[in-house]
Amino acid sequence: MPSNVCYIESVRVFIGKLSETLGFTKKRTADIQLALDEICSNAVNHGSKSTESVVIIIVTVDKQFLEVMVRDTGDRNTTNWFTPERLAEIQAQRTPEGEGGHGLYLIECLTDGHKIQANNSGGTDVTVHFNR
Amino acid sequence: MARTELMTVRDSADIKIIDVMTDLSSYAALDLRKILDGLIANKVDKVVVNFSEVNHINSTAVGTLVGIAKRLRQNGGDLKLCHLGPPLTRTFNLIGASSVVEIYESEKSALAAF
Repeated sequence: MPSNVCYIESVRVFIGKLSETLGFTKKRTADIQLALDEICSNAVNHGSKSTESVVIIIVTVDKQFLEVMVRDTGDRNTTNWFTPERLAEIQAQRTPEGEGGHGLYLIECLTDGHKIQANNSGGTDVTVHFNR
Repeated sequence: MARTELMTVRDSADIKIIDVMTDLSSYAALDLRKILDGLIANKVDKVVVNFSEVNHINSTAVGTLVGIAKRLRQNGGDLKLCHLGPPLTRTFNLIGASSVVEIYESEKSALAAF
């Protein structure tokens, strides 16, 4: 996906259709769509140098689970945004009155597991897991 | 439907009502912010957003609405939301924004709350 917010809606629609086809409930499908929206938004807004960058999305369907990995190439201005310390700081600063910082919290709430790690491109891989 | 037609603004006395007719991911949230910024620039301080045609909202859009509500309150007005379906209510509740922004079942009750 080109690293531009205008493409996130297409990804959200795709994962929604796939989730429905796999038999996820309507409520769970909405959770999956929201989680992927949040991850892709983070990748575009915090993990890309420009709209020329690319965000890679890998979807794995298993009998037991649906897993989605979103890979960005990193933004030199926000290097290390994914470090445990930075993530803990974002979580600690999050309040309902705040305008940002909710994405990671939602990912935690909506998934059956998630993993955030640095990749070889200088960016971040976010992997989320949904049990079937 | 053209993108400019996905959000429309109408009047009810001194209150502006925005009808959102698209799901709110980050791209559409930018459009919503532009409309709300424009209203505030034009000295509007009472706004209702009607979500009856919306099935999805992300945290960027929720954050935009929280920020706009705070700005309108500073000007003596407020932002009120109505017709949130279950997916939107869930997102607002998870974030905690339902305790920050006033949410009403109907447009009529949102308007009456001013």
